[in-house]
Amino acid sequence: MAESGSGTADKSVQVKLVLLGEAAVGKSSIVLRFVSNEFQANKEPTIGAAFLTQKCRLEDRVLRYEIWDTAGQERFHSLAPMYYRNAQAAVVVYDVTKASSLEKAKSWVKELQRQANPNIVIALAGNKLDLVQPSASSSGATSTPESEDEADDATATPGEAAAAGDQPESLRQVPRDEAEAYAKEAGLLFFETSAKTGDGVVEIFTEIAKKIPIEHILASSRGTGRPGAAGRTGGAQEGGVNLEENAAKSKDACNC
Amino acid sequence: MSDTHFNVIVLGTGLTESIAAAALSKAGFKVAHLDQNPYYGGDEASLTLDELIQWVDSNTTNEAHGKSAFHAQTAKFTSISHSGDLLPNSRQYSISLWPSIIPSTGPLISSLIGSGVSRYGGYKLLERIAVFSSGQVRNVPGSKEDVFKNKDLSLLEKRRLMRFLMFASGEFEGKPELEGNESSPFSEFLRAKFSLKDDVVEAVTYALAFCTSSADPTLPALHRIRRYLVSSGRYGASPFLIGQYGGAGEIAQGFCRASAVHGGVYILGRKIAAVSDSSDSSENPRLSVELEDLEDKLTCDLLVLSPNYVPSNLRSAAVTVSSDSERVNDDSPASVARCIAIFDGPIILPYSPAQPPAAAGEATEGDAASTESESHSKVDTAVLVFPPGSIEGGNATVAATVLLTGEGTMSSPTGKCIAYISIPALASDTSAETLLQPYLRATLASITQPGPQSVPLFSLFYLHHPPASPTSSSPPKLLVTPNASNLLPESMDSATKNAEAVFWEALKVLQSDGQEGGKAESFWPPLETQDEDEEGW
Ligand SMILES: Nc1nc2c(ncn2[C@@H]2O[C@H](COP(=O)(O)OP(=O)(O)OP(=O)(O)O)[C@@H](O)[C@H]2O)c(=O)[nH]1
Ligand SMILES: [Mg+2]
Repeated sequence: MAESGSGTADKSVQVKLVLLGEAAVGKSSIVLRFVSNEFQANKEPTIGAAFLTQKCRLEDRVLRYEIWDTAGQERFHSLAPMYYRNAQAAVVVYDVTKASSLEKAKSWVKELQRQANPNIVIALAGNKLDLVQPSASSSGATSTPESEDEADDATATPGEAAAAGDQPESLRQVPRDEAEAYAKEAGLLFFETSAKTGDGVVEIFTEIAKKIPIEHILASSRGTGRPGAAGRTGGAQEGGVNLEENAAKSKDACNC
Repeated sequence: MSDTHFNVIVLGTGLTESIAAAALSKAGFKVAHLDQNPYYGGDEASLTLDELIQWVDSNTTNEAHGKSAFHAQTAKFTSISHSGDLLPNSRQYSISLWPSIIPSTGPLISSLIGSGVSRYGGYKLLERIAVFSSGQVRNVPGSKEDVFKNKDLSLLEKRRLMRFLMFASGEFEGKPELEGNESSPFSEFLRAKFSLKDDVVEAVTYALAFCTSSADPTLPALHRIRRYLVSSGRYGASPFLIGQYGGAGEIAQGFCRASAVHGGVYILGRKIAAVSDSSDSSENPRLSVELEDLEDKLTCDLLVLSPNYVPSNLRSAAVTVSSDSERVNDDSPASVARCIAIFDGPIILPYSPAQPPAAAGEATEGDAASTESESHSKVDTAVLVFPPGSIEGGNATVAATVLLTGEGTMSSPTGKCIAYISIPALASDTSAETLLQPYLRATLASITQPGPQSVPLFSLFYLHHPPASPTSSSPPKLLVTPNASNLLPESMDSATKNAEAVFWEALKVLQSDGQEGGKAESFWPPLETQDEDEEGW
């Protein structure tokens, strides 16, 4: 009976993560790649925000990312603070083919450092790397909306890969060195990624996982089961609860 | 619909408004949700310590009010005093302006699950309820198991208390004990019908039923106890949950997030310059809201607003929605005196054999490592109730409640704890500090290790006077959300009930307009499988 609250809880640690960045830099695409290993060539802009979860294994422990993907085009700038407020991690995304998006990313970083939890782990991700890579494996440079994504082979047009012959480096507007130097100076993790090919995407999340002070979260997140009275001196160990558990009525309506 | 026209504009991001906004967005209406504060939650917000100090400043100077579209309010917060400065890690605090605990079954939990908002936050079981009696903190025997293992009670007392708990958890309506006593004072009822002795009566009245005075009527008290008894066991032994990251304010934000996911537009931190009614032209849109620094007016068919946002020019068109008979149209809602204090943990309470359940198996290891005596244990969350007249200098007619939260609630940095003290205030009470200082002293003296811990690092006292609710008989264009209960375990449930009433009322108005877009068969439509949600829940 006493076990009902926490007994079935898994051993994973919840990590709240928020994605920020200018519109259309590929935030939702990065999450989609991470969560479902998919890519959509013409993903609609996010309205408001979207919530997703994904587990991430790191050595012997499992993290469960609770991800808030925000809308880059939010007009009144009122939602983002709500999402980063209690976040343990943030991924700030820019587009390597668009210089202005790095400026926007920098202003997000500033805001996070001023307003968010001081322990927040911030990663800077330069996305759309495939557009500036000559590699044959990345299909086509400038993506026509219809251009195939790798999961969608049925509609792939064989001829399109030829576009890779152009000089994709010329599309690059943010040199890697420059962004990396900034990230280092600001104390951020740094990645260049492609949601399209998947390059670098999982790495963001595993590197963040390594930097998160897990013990701190473990003490109180709801899935920790029961470390017991010996676990901490502060007595913060007991009683994390998952509301959906034991909620017999909602079982059939559960969206999962 | 244009960019600036909405079915509903909701003013204020308190819990009731936020739940209503989420439900309306989910029902398919186009919603804009506004708050003049730069933070979510309104008078129910959860603030970082630096935000709380700003909150103190702006409510003390009152200059923040400036020119506003709203009813000239008598000051909502008075007698504000604080001591202690900004502490380190101030942004790791999430301090609640509306401390509450949540019964494990009830409207709020149902809405959290039904809306999916439960997934956004974290919840913990309340570990302990204790009562201050005869100069000591005692555990409250709140369940059969507690009664069984209680060492302070004689066998006869145990049997009598057990009989009462059986009675209160069952179908007491129509039972002979209750007949004719429905509105007689609950404490007398306990004495007369169940022969409980004084300290047990006290514990049951104030710490099980959460009555505020000895005159509180029997029937509502029994209803509350039954709900709490039924709640225990759902998630664990304790009937109550605590919301992490600051409770009510965080939960309100969860509903705002849900509203945003369904297209709700959010505008915070902008002064509302004017609200006007343009319905004379008998054309939609009927109402418009002007924001400072925004050229376009926002227009809507219906305004839903907290009593803080009733525009003075439209007061006669505003009607307060009522959810049940309990609290209708209070013209002068009850004031509350509150204290928020930060102190060095841990929180130490008399050891309870029955709670928390985990302690039974593993407490020995922890105790071996610490210096505390076997009779005490550390907890992360607790409620401590002071019955009337329980301390010198305290109030002799009403009870004070203290909610204690530690770092495990993710609302304070490592090692720091927060005490929230509330007591009903009368018009004659002019100083929150005078009223509450004795309780703060008694609380810290009895739950911390002796020494510097019993002096708070930061303390804030104030009186909160909820705004009066307007009434109107004309067809409503402005729906005002009613004030919620201030009882610790009832407050968020009553806000949820109010939100549902507002939701249905809004639906009526919008549908009579023949609005396209929104419809609803239930408060929360079944959660559909969302492709953005992966498995693993
Ligand atoms: N070639 C290429 N295109 C990408 C990549 N990532 C995203 N895109 C495309 O860029 C467009 C915008 O991507 P989204 O993921 O919707 O961008 P977002 O940052 O979520 O945008 P908002 O939701 O409006 O803030 C879509 O058409 C994507 O297919 C990438 O790595 N490479
Ligand atoms: Mg997006």
